[in-house]
Amino acid sequence: MLLEEILAATINASTPLLLAALGEVISQRAGVINIGIEGMMLIGALFGMVGSFYSAGLPFIAPWLGLIAAGLGGLLVAIIFAALAIKLRGDQVIIGTAITLLALGFTQVVYQRLFGKTGSPQSVPYFQDFDLPVLSQIPILGKSLFSHNIIVYLAFLLVPCVYFFLYHTQPGLRVRACGEHPKAIATVGSNVTILRSMCMFFAGIMAGIGGGYLSLADVPYFTPGMTAGRGFTALAIVIFGKWHPVKALGSALLFGLGFALDARFQAAGWEIQHQLFLMLPYVLCLVVLTGFVGKAEAPLALGKPYDQSA
Amino acid sequence: MPICILACAFITNTLVVIFCGYNPIKAYIAAIDATIGSPRGIGETLVKSTPYLMTGLSVAIAFRCGIWNIGAEGQFLLGALAATWFGTKLVTILPQTSWIGIPLCFVFSIVAGGICGIIPAILKITRGVNEVISTIMLNYIAIHLVSLMVDGGPLQEASKTGPQSDPIAKWVILPRFFENHRIHAGIILAALLAGVLTFVLFKTTFGYKLRAVGEGAAAAQAAGISIPRNTLYVFFLSGALAGLGGGIELMALAPRLTKHFSPGYGYTAIAVALLAKLNPLATIAAAVFFGALTHGAFGMEAEIGISGKITWMMQAIIILLVVGTSSLKYFQDKKINA
Repeated sequence: MLLEEILAATINASTPLLLAALGEVISQRAGVINIGIEGMMLIGALFGMVGSFYSAGLPFIAPWLGLIAAGLGGLLVAIIFAALAIKLRGDQVIIGTAITLLALGFTQVVYQRLFGKTGSPQSVPYFQDFDLPVLSQIPILGKSLFSHNIIVYLAFLLVPCVYFFLYHTQPGLRVRACGEHPKAIATVGSNVTILRSMCMFFAGIMAGIGGGYLSLADVPYFTPGMTAGRGFTALAIVIFGKWHPVKALGSALLFGLGFALDARFQAAGWEIQHQLFLMLPYVLCLVVLTGFVGKAEAPLALGKPYDQSA
Repeated sequence: MPICILACAFITNTLVVIFCGYNPIKAYIAAIDATIGSPRGIGETLVKSTPYLMTGLSVAIAFRCGIWNIGAEGQFLLGALAATWFGTKLVTILPQTSWIGIPLCFVFSIVAGGICGIIPAILKITRGVNEVISTIMLNYIAIHLVSLMVDGGPLQEASKTGPQSDPIAKWVILPRFFENHRIHAGIILAALLAGVLTFVLFKTTFGYKLRAVGEGAAAAQAAGISIPRNTLYVFFLSGALAGLGGGIELMALAPRLTKHFSPGYGYTAIAVALLAKLNPLATIAAAVFFGALTHGAFGMEAEIGISGKITWMMQAIIILLVVGTSSLKYFQDKKINA
């Protein structure tokens, strides 16, 4: 019983991480390191909640409209990022940090303006969990694996899609080349700026949707700062998953387990330092980076602005 | 250039205030009144500037020397954590006098911040780990470590009621200069440090070597300057400054360590340092400006109800403008002028 609950909670907690991480895999493979995922998720969470709030009259569509708003919010931030970091070749790390700061301030100001400072958070129509027919009847695992909201299934289905795109299509090959040796693909006629911007937009949308998951499925409301470091966890997932979508799924589940165990132990009030589970992803990420456990090779041109004229 | 950037950030901010349906004139009057409208406001502004100055110096030194230390947040927290440990536990076995307590408490926060700075340095030197990623990860490790220590951990207050530590001993609290004012000795110390750093960085061989590694590693190496050793120095110095900042903040203002001790000083520090063009002396001005922003925003929130977090937006806009307007020429200019 306990194990089932933890498994279900793990899947629920890893979904937003997975969504954001999949976007980040693409952008980093294209050579753009986006430290602003946290900010994009936060904007997505707010936009998602606001979108659902203002379409609350349409019971079935409202959460979907919210999710679209969340994706658009993330895209909007990604456009700012792309303009400064890809087009103007500003430092990606500093811009990413600023974007998170911007989102922290923006969401707080807007939320407080729209819904006031005090009182309980405003709840909105959200994605409800439902049992998948037949599959959820499987003994033991059925309930924990196949009784989630629709976004969970879509997120997990996206993993093979991203994998197929990256490794078995021509644009995917271009994206990977763009992160390794942008000059090579510029020589054969691709536009590095446009390619990287597209990848960045995808990362923004995914981070926005990941944030939207938090305010539309995880809980049906927004609270300022609700992402609580998940954007940076997604960054750790990409590295721990060695820039590979399928491995990113594995590490998203592992890190989701950390969140699930933290919540579980906190709720149970056990005499155990539950924060350890939250700290673990970051420690693991550092260990992987040192290269003692398997080799983690970042895309060669990661974080380096590409100068078309040079 | 910084003036234009401030003007642009100011205009953008005004637009946000208007867009949110507040009266910008009222907002700014409230902000100005809170900051320079009274001696108390000026004092509070200086008090709020201190953590920005310390973390800003940490970032300025690192960036100046070509190290992308994003870890000031974690180093600040670990400095405060070490100061708490010293100020609540260790201090009981020492003589109860400020002459021993305060300097030792400083040493603890410096060492803790420095160690947090050295970890990414070692990872970078020995394993080639990018310091951006490792310092971000260490920030979160530090955040959760603080939470672990004060929420159920060994540093939680003796009554075990809230997620906070016991107050530190009275004789490690930094002296204040006025009755009813929070202006404390840490402000002076931070300003002095900025001066000392400027001197060290620009007038000594040691500082010259540090800068040389940052501006052109290959040339520095050819001239016989050890890159690993100087990288280590920069990381330690940068971490120690942020750590000391955390220690000062704890010893001066909040005699307890709480879960949310830092509202992101380490990230704002990047804005402070960039606005100061990575110059330690100019960092003082930038930090006071950010202190005024923070305290002014309190005034705005109290007066017209707009969220005080609007300062974060303003800070972010400043960073984006600095990077956006200067990425094409500023860093090249800096290299020529330095």
